Amino acid sequence: MNSSENQRSRKTLACTAEATAFQKRFGQDLRRRVIDEGEPFAIVQADTPHEIFHAMDIPIITNQWWSAYISAKQLSSRYFDAMVEAGYPANSCKYCSLGLACTLANEPETAPWGGLPTPTVLVARLTCDCIQQVFGQWSQALGSEFFPIEAPAWEDKDPDWFAHSKSDWERVYQPDRIAQMVREMRDLISLLENRTGRKFEEARLHHLMEQINVQEGFIWEAAQAIGAARPCPVSIAEQMPNTMIPQWHRGSDWAVAHARKFRDEVLERIAEGKGAASNEKLRLMWIGAGVWHDPGFYQSMEESLGAVFVWSMYMPFAGPAYIRDIKGKPMEALASRVASMNETLHLPPWMNGWMTAEAARCGIDAAVMLLPPDNRLSQSGTKLTAIALEAAGVPVLMIDADMVDAKIWDHDRMVAMVSGFLAERGLA
Amino acid sequence: MIASIGPLLPLEILEATGRYAGPLLADFDAPTPVARRWLESKFAPWAPCVLERWAAGAYDGIETAVFSRADDTAQRLYYYICELRRRGHIKGPEPVIFDLAQIPRQSSLDRTIAQVRSLADRLGVDDAALGNAIEVSNQGRSTIVEPPVGLNCLLAGTPTPDGRLGDAVRRAGFVPHGVTLEEEWSDPGPQVDLSCSTPVEALGRQLHGRTAGPRSFADPAELMAAKVRAAGASAVVLWRIEEDEAYAWHLPAERRALEELGVPHLVMTRRDWLGRDGAPDEIRKFLEGVKP
Repeated sequence: MNSSENQRSRKTLACTAEATAFQKRFGQDLRRRVIDEGEPFAIVQADTPHEIFHAMDIPIITNQWWSAYISAKQLSSRYFDAMVEAGYPANSCKYCSLGLACTLANEPETAPWGGLPTPTVLVARLTCDCIQQVFGQWSQALGSEFFPIEAPAWEDKDPDWFAHSKSDWERVYQPDRIAQMVREMRDLISLLENRTGRKFEEARLHHLMEQINVQEGFIWEAAQAIGAARPCPVSIAEQMPNTMIPQWHRGSDWAVAHARKFRDEVLERIAEGKGAASNEKLRLMWIGAGVWHDPGFYQSMEESLGAVFVWSMYMPFAGPAYIRDIKGKPMEALASRVASMNETLHLPPWMNGWMTAEAARCGIDAAVMLLPPDNRLSQSGTKLTAIALEAAGVPVLMIDADMVDAKIWDHDRMVAMVSGFLAERGLA
Repeated sequence: MIASIGPLLPLEILEATGRYAGPLLADFDAPTPVARRWLESKFAPWAPCVLERWAAGAYDGIETAVFSRADDTAQRLYYYICELRRRGHIKGPEPVIFDLAQIPRQSSLDRTIAQVRSLADRLGVDDAALGNAIEVSNQGRSTIVEPPVGLNCLLAGTPTPDGRLGDAVRRAGFVPHGVTLEEEWSDPGPQVDLSCSTPVEALGRQLHGRTAGPRSFADPAELMAAKVRAAGASAVVLWRIEEDEAYAWHLPAERRALEELGVPHLVMTRRDWLGRDGAPDEIRKFLEGVKP
């Protein structure tokens, strides 16, 4: 990364600072619980049933959050180099392995929190060929146990899944896949009860699921309003933290209250006619994980070109991926949420079906798509989605970059590339 | 006719149909401009070759193609092909996926057995026909293999497209022991224990317990040591391609295993599957250097 690295994003909402401050306090509290007090905790992938842990009050460290934390401290290059020194190929998948790299580097003096202690368990859903290797080796390095979760094939392929996922989730996500995940979640609960002495209560999960519906309902409402509003009141640089931070704490009183506050601020800005840019001309879509090492990238063309990133997956995903009619079956409803998160974001027909519909809903003028060179899962579905978007009249720029590896990211070059693309397609 | 795509499939079910045409292979050296419009760069390089021929109508005479979930490229290609067919970009065989679950846990074993039943029902194979097919394949498995003699080289890592790397081993005076992609996809695995209640359960148990494949939970160091011993190898070439995402993680453990065994070895990572990067010459030179 060049000297223009890590440009900070500009914040306009009061609740953004509040979310960031909350997460900072949460990080300190989490550190106190797992490091200072030695409480049992788990390391989990983002697409695993966090709700089980929340319902049992077991602290979790989400791999993606931990990766972003390491990345934000500009340590990713150092740890990936350590992986190569340990004998791994330099092109091994970066997104999910930064936590493992940090552990293997074994540098308490540089590692966040001095490195992680031994967790009770590590949990990942086997959505690609490398994740079981990463989590298997990470659990060995930490002296812990790996609890893998199957990612069964999904034969019921409804391109309009997002329109039916709330009410018709049994059909959309396939009964046998839901049943499989429920069995696995029950095995996980048994493991956690045995290892931690804490008890799981389904009634508590049911309440949590209801709270999550309320929380994600606010986010969904705000997403609908942002899609319809001209100008866009809030860039994705602020959508992401206000969606993701409460989502890490989903169902908690703070998360529900924060989602409501965010929704209210968004609606207030729309009512006042305030835009993320002073003169919005182009509405852009960001497809891919967030570029955590350069959050300022998303706002870099707002004033010069009037180009506003109005869409990234995180906020609108809150509706179809999270909200469920519980129907007295919280475990099954939760399984339907977890059983296909990754697939809907990375495989046809779900990815292209949803993103094309979202582009139309939000009046998107052009899309910028991240294509990580060393990650099949993150690349997956991008070309078919780009074709579908282009066919729908949305020009697409695909950029080779990685969301956590700062080595191949150059802020100025990326901004120039997007600007050039918009000019070339007659948009700017 | 029925064809297969990927490893760790219940081949006995396909054989029992009497319509199994074998793995769906392609000319791996041919250009793939059409497939590359749809597939991203990290797909295993056989995938665009298969898709290119699929799009050209080369497989139109096949009724069903059974994909494996045990391999990430194979299972992703299944979804791509379903979508391309839905959108009318391609025609060809009906894609079907066999959903192997390999986690060493009862729920995964049960799912695999259920999936074996589902595929058998879908292809019209009853228990008697499946049992017969398993008996036939078990007979093939019990064929006694003579212990290797002479100078043997284990060609481990990514299955090769054909014999091009094996030829380099031979030119150096060694007998190659490795597998091609076709051989990997055609490997029926170990004996199926027919003492189970049904042939479906027997086959499901065998598949769930397979140690091969990128999603196996077997110890990679032990697997490497076992392969070295089985081949009677006096040298090892561990060759992996750029697109590999699974086995690359085994490399440190495999390297340690080879060092502990004291067998001369050449490790080649991030290589070109078609061997256009000089790999055959490197292999030949390495083996000539370690030849007694």
